[in-house]
Amino acid sequence: MSIQEKYVTILELANQNGTTYELAEGEGVLHINGTAPSEEAKQQLWDEYNRIDPDYRSGDLMLNITVAGAEVGAHTYTVEAGDNLSKIGAKYGISWNAIYEANRDIISDPDMIHPGQELKIPV
Amino acid sequence: MKIKYLAFLTLALALLASACGKSDADLQTAVTEKLATDKVTGVTVTVKDGVATLTGEVADAAAKNKAEASAKVEGITSVDSKLTVKPPPPPSPPPVDPALKGKVEENLKKAGCTGVTIEVVAGKVVAKGKVPAAKYLECVQVIQQAGATGFDNQIEKGS
Repeated sequence: MSIQEKYVTILELANQNGTTYELAEGEGVLHINGTAPSEEAKQQLWDEYNRIDPDYRSGDLMLNITVAGAEVGAHTYTVEAGDNLSKIGAKYGISWNAIYEANRDIISDPDMIHPGQELKIPV
Repeated sequence: MKIKYLAFLTLALALLASACGKSDADLQTAVTEKLATDKVTGVTVTVKDGVATLTGEVADAAAKNKAEASAKVEGITSVDSKLTVKPPPPPSPPPVDPALKGKVEENLKKAGCTGVTIEVVAGKVVAKGKVPAAKYLECVQVIQQAGATGFDNQIEKGS
C-alpha cells in the first residue's frame, strides 16, 4: 500500500470540504500542503489523520494545512497577563466564542489562554 | 420453413439483446459522460461485455477511487481499473538547518509548547519531551506546518 493509499481518506475529505492541496513525496514521506476554507475543515482533516495514525507517530505524512483568509484582513491580538476571551472580545465588540472558534488551532480550552499567544480576531 | 425459422431466430436474438440492456458502445458513452460530470479527467474508458476498463494517469489516490466509483453506472458489471497515480514531485529542498530549527522553536514557543525539545537532522525534525494532552495536537501541527522534510515524533502526552 502506498502512502497515498494509506491516507487517501484525508484527500477525499479535502475534496469534499473544499480544501485545495498539492502533494509531494520523498524519502518515504507524503507531504500534503493545502489551504482549508475554515478552521473546521482543517480540523476534520486532522481528525481523520489521527484516526489513521493515532497520535501522529508514523512520520510518513506531513500535513500542512493553513486556513484561507486567516492572515489576510484579520487582526491579531497578543494575549497579555490577566486577559480572558470575554475581555478581549469586548475590546473588539465580538463574542468570546467568535474568537475561540477562529483560534481552535491554538486554543484547546477557552478558559486557558496564555500571555504571548497571538490570537486571530475575526472580522 | 427454413427461412421462417431463421427470421424467428433473428427476431429472438434481437429481443434478447435489447432485454440485456445497453450495448457496450452505449455503456462506454454513459461511463465517459458520467466521468465528465464528476469532473474526472485523464481517464479513458473502454467497455467490453459490460466490463469497464479504465486507463490513464490521475492526480492522486483520491481521484483514482473517485474514477473507479464513478464508472459503476447502471449496466456495468464490473470495473477493471488500470489507472495509475501520478507520482508526486519530491518536496522542496529543506531550508538550511539552523533556520528551520529556529523557526520551529519560535513557533513552538508561541503556541505555548514548552517542554518540547527539537533537533533538526537534514531537514527532518526530531521532537522529544512531554506536553499536556490538550496541547498535543497543536504542538504536532506547529512542527508539521514548518516546512520540514520529515518528522520523528517522540513527544509524550502528559496528563
